[in-house]
Amino acid sequence: MDKKKLSHSSLQSSVTSVLAALLCILIGLFVGFLVLLAINPAHAWADGFVRILKGGFHDAPYGVGKELANAAPLIMTGLSVAFAFKTGLFNIGAAGQYTLGAFGALYCAIMLKMPWFVCLIAATILGGIWGAIPGFFKAYFNINEVITSIMFNWIGLYLVNELIYQNGTGPMYDVRNTRTLNLGKSAEYAQSVIPDFGLNKLFQTNSTTIAIFLAAAVAILIWVVLNKTTFGYELKAVGLNKSAARYAGINEKKNIILSMAIAGALAGFGAGLYYLSNVSQWNPLNSTSLPAMGFNGISVALLASSNPIGTIFSALFISHISVGGSFLSTKYYPTEISDLISGIIIYLCAFSMLFRGKIHGLLFKNADKTNVNAEPAPAKTETKKEGK
Amino acid sequence: MLLLIKYTLLYGIVLMLVALGGMFSEHSGIINIALEGIMVIGGVAGVLTLTLLPADMSPFLVVLLTILAAALAGMVYSLLLAFASINLKADQTIGGTALNLLATAIAVVIAKYFSDSGSAKLNYTNKPFLFSIGGLELSVFVPLGIILLIISYVVLYKTRFGLRLRACGEHPQAADSVGINVYKMRYAGVLLSGALGAIGGMAYIVPPVQTWNFEVGVAGAGFLALAVMIFGQWKPFNIFGAAMFFAVFKSLANIADSTFLAQLHWSSNIYNMMPFVASMVILAFTSKNSMAPKAEGIPYDKGSR
Amino acid sequence: MAEDFVIEMLHITKEFPGIKANDDITLQLRKGEVHALLGENGAGKSTLMSVLFGLYQPEAGQIRKNGKEVAIRNPNDANALGIGMVHQHFKLVECFSVLDNIILGVEPNKMGFLQKAEARKKVMALSEKYGLRVDLDALISDISVGMQQRVEILKMLYRDNEILIFDEPTAVLTPQEIDELMEIMRGFKKEGKSILFITHKLNEIMAVADRCTVLRKGKYMGTVDIKDTTKEELSRMMVGRDVQLQVEKQPANPGAVVLDVQNVTMHNDQRKKDSVKDVTFQVHAGEIVCLAGIEGNGQTEFVYGLTGLEKLTNGKITLDGKDITHATIRQRSKDGMSHIPEDRHKHGLVLDYSLENNMVLQRYWQPEFQKGGFIRADKVREYSDKLIAQYDVRSGQGSSTIVRSMSGGNQQKAIIAREIDRDPKLLIAVQPTRGLDVGAIEYIHKQIVAERDKGTAVLLVSLELDEVMNLSDRILVMYEGEIVGEFDPKTTTVQELGLYMAGARKQGKETK
Repeated sequence: MDKKKLSHSSLQSSVTSVLAALLCILIGLFVGFLVLLAINPAHAWADGFVRILKGGFHDAPYGVGKELANAAPLIMTGLSVAFAFKTGLFNIGAAGQYTLGAFGALYCAIMLKMPWFVCLIAATILGGIWGAIPGFFKAYFNINEVITSIMFNWIGLYLVNELIYQNGTGPMYDVRNTRTLNLGKSAEYAQSVIPDFGLNKLFQTNSTTIAIFLAAAVAILIWVVLNKTTFGYELKAVGLNKSAARYAGINEKKNIILSMAIAGALAGFGAGLYYLSNVSQWNPLNSTSLPAMGFNGISVALLASSNPIGTIFSALFISHISVGGSFLSTKYYPTEISDLISGIIIYLCAFSMLFRGKIHGLLFKNADKTNVNAEPAPAKTETKKEGK
Repeated sequence: MLLLIKYTLLYGIVLMLVALGGMFSEHSGIINIALEGIMVIGGVAGVLTLTLLPADMSPFLVVLLTILAAALAGMVYSLLLAFASINLKADQTIGGTALNLLATAIAVVIAKYFSDSGSAKLNYTNKPFLFSIGGLELSVFVPLGIILLIISYVVLYKTRFGLRLRACGEHPQAADSVGINVYKMRYAGVLLSGALGAIGGMAYIVPPVQTWNFEVGVAGAGFLALAVMIFGQWKPFNIFGAAMFFAVFKSLANIADSTFLAQLHWSSNIYNMMPFVASMVILAFTSKNSMAPKAEGIPYDKGSR
Repeated sequence: MAEDFVIEMLHITKEFPGIKANDDITLQLRKGEVHALLGENGAGKSTLMSVLFGLYQPEAGQIRKNGKEVAIRNPNDANALGIGMVHQHFKLVECFSVLDNIILGVEPNKMGFLQKAEARKKVMALSEKYGLRVDLDALISDISVGMQQRVEILKMLYRDNEILIFDEPTAVLTPQEIDELMEIMRGFKKEGKSILFITHKLNEIMAVADRCTVLRKGKYMGTVDIKDTTKEELSRMMVGRDVQLQVEKQPANPGAVVLDVQNVTMHNDQRKKDSVKDVTFQVHAGEIVCLAGIEGNGQTEFVYGLTGLEKLTNGKITLDGKDITHATIRQRSKDGMSHIPEDRHKHGLVLDYSLENNMVLQRYWQPEFQKGGFIRADKVREYSDKLIAQYDVRSGQGSSTIVRSMSGGNQQKAIIAREIDRDPKLLIAVQPTRGLDVGAIEYIHKQIVAERDKGTAVLLVSLELDEVMNLSDRILVMYEGEIVGEFDPKTTTVQELGLYMAGARKQGKETK
């Protein structure tokens, strides 16, 4: 009887989360449509809005393949952010961890000619180290991980660019393409490309590998760790209330560093999935912007309410509209419209708790009779501020 | 040496302006991580105004109007942060991050719409903004910044507004209990940060070059300004000092080729990295006695006292 | 009504989601009287005063000033009507000076620029007149709690308030400081000011109040003249039944030493001074030793050191013969230390975890509850259900209730169940009854005495002198981080303890 009650209430909260996410998406799309109208009203519907909504299906199967190829790393950066959220941390550093992961994967592939899974492991480890650093600063110097992560995003970007470029003489750098060497163009790197088991043929692409399945598997693994294990119990306890976790004898410093290291490792793994699959190559001359994959991970995590399984679907969605955006005719619209839409969606997600409350109230008003005659619940205690 | 001073002042004033903006916001209790995005919005609004104004307008008016336009745009944009974090009690960091991402997208969409080439590059003239004293070429943002610095100090410590603002960031319940409208003060703090951040964005983009690609945003300058603010312990003159300190590192990159530093053969990546590394080191050392406003980052809820 | 009331609150009703905090309450304040508002924790006193102060808007009822209905929408309106309030949790900005705090909200200014000299003169005059001396340039963070209260009082006087509300003002004071405060209140009365005095302490009401209004569970129980009533009657009105003021317990039967604390010193880096100085004492099996003192005299820090939350600078702690000075928190817990923490929201509970997850907070890793790193959810549920039944913890959905939604009393019961059920050798209970109603207090006191009778060593840290006198077998008084005296509750008095708590007296070095 108790079990039933529990599953009932957790079902309610899942339904609410999904509806809140859908609401964010709808409003975001609507604002996007208004922008399309403002820029070029004549083409806003068929050549603009519909094309974004259709996403990869505008040019199936190629577009769909591309969508899946993009979704895989997005799931990982989304997981990275979501995992950190679950443990009470905001990993805005996924971009930097992703950058380091990319370097790890490419170095093992190009310089060491390692098989793909070794390259992936290298990407994971480097990403993990880059995540652990802000964790360390937070645990031992009490500096907010947001600030540190941002700083290390940029440090990571310049570092990796320098290592690859080396004034144009870097061995991983292909001067003609101003990118790192293309793994797909030469048979000597074949072992480093993630196998596709015929997916490329199916989607008529050259970048659709089993990455999407690997990412989904990791998402499920993360869900299990968080919800079923003592390790997950500790991580969440530290995230929800650091002082209480300490009181309970949990080593909160170790757990903060571990959380950030795992979050970083997930982002690094994502970079491996991306750069070991021929989609594109690293451009070390771009010294002014961090990989968007890292920040889109924040949208993915927020849309999914930080549920690891949810990130699979929200990543597919974000990938869907951004591929849709890339199919916009530049004659009429800038392709950044899709960035605009996802930016609006994150902004809305920032206060989706409010939506969630409203939706929950509307749907379950009568069903929810918890605690009517108890004293009022204590207000959320103000977590003690930490110095940055 | 003159060059070093020039670049340090130019870049230092940018960091200082933006950090002062962050300071006002944080003293009111709102963490403004959206400074980077506000800079971008201020930049695109200012540059756009600059390109649209008639060419024969007096330089003084040009400067005035563009700066006003930028400040106004920044304030409007910061309203989004204020609304989300004050009225809707959203997580301030997430809201700010969203605004950063959104800002670049908006700037690119606008720039592409207005540019002739279809790219996100806008061309403009920066002549009205520059002047020189004895061979030292400076931008109007340097004197403007100094004036704003002094005003900021006076406002924060010598006026009723400043006292109330700081009370809201330290102990909003106390402010509320003596009849101060915490929501209003926090709006004021965020709006000020929007104006200062946006002017800072213009100061970053306009003086050095005559064309700007808005796809690159402002390359992390807004985040560095946050570090400057922390290093400056949320106090105006300390922020000025911290900004200049950071700016020296950045300026080294610009003058490296023409001085003894050229012999080190360091690439621009290393110089670019330096301010960020320096800020981490400094934060690690200064974190123990942080003077951060106590209530920053915590949404104020009238119901829970 | 012919009577001369300055303030009347008539038929006030204020609801919060799920609860009526005030249900048709009437309170009438005469000019120049001290009027006590009595009720248990959670009876609705603070809510009623917040309504009067404009912090909440009531759903029903009206407020009158001098017979005329007024609307109080915010603290500014209250201030304009001459109503001022000393809040239970002081509303002071720590990093501001005393003067800045006093003028905040009513700053004298020219075109927005502060004119502090003017303010300073006025505050000085007031502090002379009422004997409320305080350093105007000191930062709030540097002055004592008693001083901070003076700042709050000066805030009201600076605003020329005629109606002064004191919300539980004595909780943070020594008995002597309480006497001083009563004297100050009488002074205000002489000046024609009217005082509303919120408390749950009967002695103070009998000492200073003219009349008393009693609330119980959000309802109005009546108003009585103090000279026509007794403590017993008031207490019955407040609780609704006869209250067992004395805890029933047999004389202690102390056994071997369980806790041995030797020369413990702790340094506070932020304040750059020792918060705990050379503390030495023992607790035996089967006795309750109480650490008494005013808030902020090192008790909190000492408990942090004892339980491993903070490091000692110096000294040695032995638990049941084993040196645990450098042991981890988990090791201490394994060795038989249980800790009911001072702040149940900060340390005691993970509020957003379910009740069952909180019940195994220190034990989830034990083989009983996990296998190969995976939590055995069924065992956790089983154990939690058992504790809930045994200790009568009430919640909406049993083991799966999110703890945040539970009442304070039941949250505390859950902690006590968890800590006692671990069969500790040493139970450390820090302010175990803070903020609870009489029923819960009685229950918790019984549990603590039962633990003692089972042979557990109990270290109780409490600020409530009643609790200290009732529960303990030995009393240690702490002042500025030092133990300044040891007492037998049967032979000492509250007044004597008060002198030690205020640092006015000190026994010779204890070497028992």
